[in-house]
Amino acid sequence: MVAADVAATKGSIMGNNSKLSISGALAAATCTLLGSGLPEPVQAQEEPGWDFNTALLYYGEDGDRVQDLSLNILSRRAFIDDKFLSLGLTVDALTGASPNGALPQSSAQTFTRPSGEKTYTTPAGELPLDDSFRDTRVALTASWQQPLGRLYQLSFGASASAEYDYTHAGLNAKLARDFNQRNTTVSAGIAVAHDSLDPVGGTPIGLAPMLGEEDTSNRMGDQTKDVLDIVFGVTQVMSRNLLMQFNYSYSDASGYLNDPYKILSIVDGVTGDAIPTNDFGDDGPSQLNVFEKRPDTRVKHSLFTQAKYYMNGKVLDVSYRYMTDDWEIDSHTVDLRYRWPIGDRSYLEPHFRFYTQTEAEFYRASLIDGQPLPEYASADYRLGNFDAITAGLKYGWKTGSGNDMSVRLELYQQSGSIPSEQLIGNQLDRDNYPDLNAVILQFSYRFGL
Amino acid sequence: MAARQKQRHVRVGEDNGSWRGRFEAMASPCELLCEATGRAEAQRLTEIVANEAWRIEDKFSRYLPGNIVDQINSAGGRAVEVDPETAQLIDFGVTLYQLSERRFDITSGVLRRIWRFDGSSNIPTAAQVDEVMNDVGWHRVTWESPSITMAAGMEIDFGGIGKEFAVDRAAALLREETSVSCLVNLGGDLAVTSRPKQRNTWKVGIEAVNRPADMPASLLNLQIGALATSGDARRFLVKEGVRYSHILDPMTGWPVQDAPRSITVAADTCTQAGMLSTLAMLQGKGAETFLEAQDVSYWCDRGYLPELDSVAP
Repeated sequence: MVAADVAATKGSIMGNNSKLSISGALAAATCTLLGSGLPEPVQAQEEPGWDFNTALLYYGEDGDRVQDLSLNILSRRAFIDDKFLSLGLTVDALTGASPNGALPQSSAQTFTRPSGEKTYTTPAGELPLDDSFRDTRVALTASWQQPLGRLYQLSFGASASAEYDYTHAGLNAKLARDFNQRNTTVSAGIAVAHDSLDPVGGTPIGLAPMLGEEDTSNRMGDQTKDVLDIVFGVTQVMSRNLLMQFNYSYSDASGYLNDPYKILSIVDGVTGDAIPTNDFGDDGPSQLNVFEKRPDTRVKHSLFTQAKYYMNGKVLDVSYRYMTDDWEIDSHTVDLRYRWPIGDRSYLEPHFRFYTQTEAEFYRASLIDGQPLPEYASADYRLGNFDAITAGLKYGWKTGSGNDMSVRLELYQQSGSIPSEQLIGNQLDRDNYPDLNAVILQFSYRFGL
Repeated sequence: MAARQKQRHVRVGEDNGSWRGRFEAMASPCELLCEATGRAEAQRLTEIVANEAWRIEDKFSRYLPGNIVDQINSAGGRAVEVDPETAQLIDFGVTLYQLSERRFDITSGVLRRIWRFDGSSNIPTAAQVDEVMNDVGWHRVTWESPSITMAAGMEIDFGGIGKEFAVDRAAALLREETSVSCLVNLGGDLAVTSRPKQRNTWKVGIEAVNRPADMPASLLNLQIGALATSGDARRFLVKEGVRYSHILDPMTGWPVQDAPRSITVAADTCTQAGMLSTLAMLQGKGAETFLEAQDVSYWCDRGYLPELDSVAP
């Protein structure tokens, strides 16, 4: 038989390698079994395609506060030998108003815009919002992942982003090793970032007073911030249905950590009302304020654990994170997702998240006129004591062409409080920390090319 | 048997410019993709494939009383004379037994009496394994084609060959019947009958075990040839943290250590692809080294490495 002869020749040529001769002998035996001639040789190539994960996300806070429209494209190219190149692009368009840190007053308040040009006025009884918040951010990421030997996986990458007053550049690397018949994966990762701030009109000096238009004596030049992140993780296959992950991460930030757009009201120690000033006429603040000042270092530790439980196509995903830092902010996050298949091609996924944090040790609702300034102070609501709940639903389905689509709608509610000992006089009668409600709507589409 | 017959029908539909016929065989979803000109032709070709798959299933399934496998296994030490097709399958099994240095053995099916791969922790005792091992070993069988004789208690089983054999047999029948390009897929083991004409290639996805939604499956362009996969992530046992794969070593009666979760091999025929992936599995830790030496394209899955939380803030 011709086929057997050819195969036997192939086998004998490779005869010095007994394992290699197996394919030849097997080919001959298969021809005999199937009673057919030599088949055409196989031609199979791995598709050199890209996998694209795209998402369009809308985040909108109520009451004319922050609105963000974000386009996210993550593409991943698989190469032979389990190597992957990932490239990401994010474009954010941000508009709306954000609390500037000053307290509501019984009279209208005028503030100098962060740029130092012009002023804006908040009506009596309302939380002062800085409406000059408008920015476009472009962020790029690139990473390469490959196996290193049989048990190691190495990945490294770079990130960069730019917006009007802020640039970021970062590098990261991660090494993972499998143990215990690949039921255990231990990994270590490191990331470094260097960010620069260049706010319009200069960077405010911490605790310097807000001045009138065109007065830059309270400003300095560009500032920078460096961040080091380290993560250690263990992923464990507990059983055929349960996958668990444990992470510890350490983060060390140093440099200019203030938010250049946040201020604090200077108030009367008895009435709690802002101290009016006529120093600037119509071209500056109508009351005394100072820019916030935070420490120039921050060290965070966090512990994270996640369990994914698979039950006949349903997936329960539960995670918990504890974070503590040397600004004395402690936070807890509980996240629950449940993927519930509907037929073969679609699923529903309810999502619930609870977040709570304590305030930073230097969080101050306001500063009292005539008292010496503290070393650090911030009235930024994000450094205050608050709870947040996110609840939503995602619906995903496979399109006719086999691509994945999903739509997600979530509601976010944040409610914070100011420690009662920080509230003075008339402040007790006002809503200094109104609830924040936001809606999140996301469309995702995943396809291959 | 009634239930089995009930499921025996084919459904044909149009799918992305080609025709797809579906049916169930060998406890797996099966399909035929073809560039047929119309529904009637697609239906006819699917029926050819389905009938051949069902014929082979009925003839060689170890679960069906009265078929040739049952006659051999219940002969109680008497010689059984087999038909030419069965003889060829046994001969093929013998070749593999030799090539694999006894690791592939068509008498090893009786190990399933004590090893039930249901994800539980029911590991048999060494004594139980030793006892069953008395009924394992091709060297104990007298095979003088077409006559087979083995001791009562021993069994033969074509489970490791049957599906791939059926794919190649069905592909051969289709080649006699039509020049239209077809892809025969019996539960993930598949072959292309001729180069596609309406498209450049048939596209086949290779799924990683527990593939997360954000990780793409490998996509393969198959112009001609076959693919077969060994291993199944859902079939294993875990006891005291040790994961026992469902690949049993007939030399010891115990699962092969360090076997990949699954191996997919591309070869000229589905039978070759299937045997190479099975032999590689039996190498355990050395699976990749074995496949490298065979100079074939393969995809070895040693389990999904979960992504950790992004390091970047």
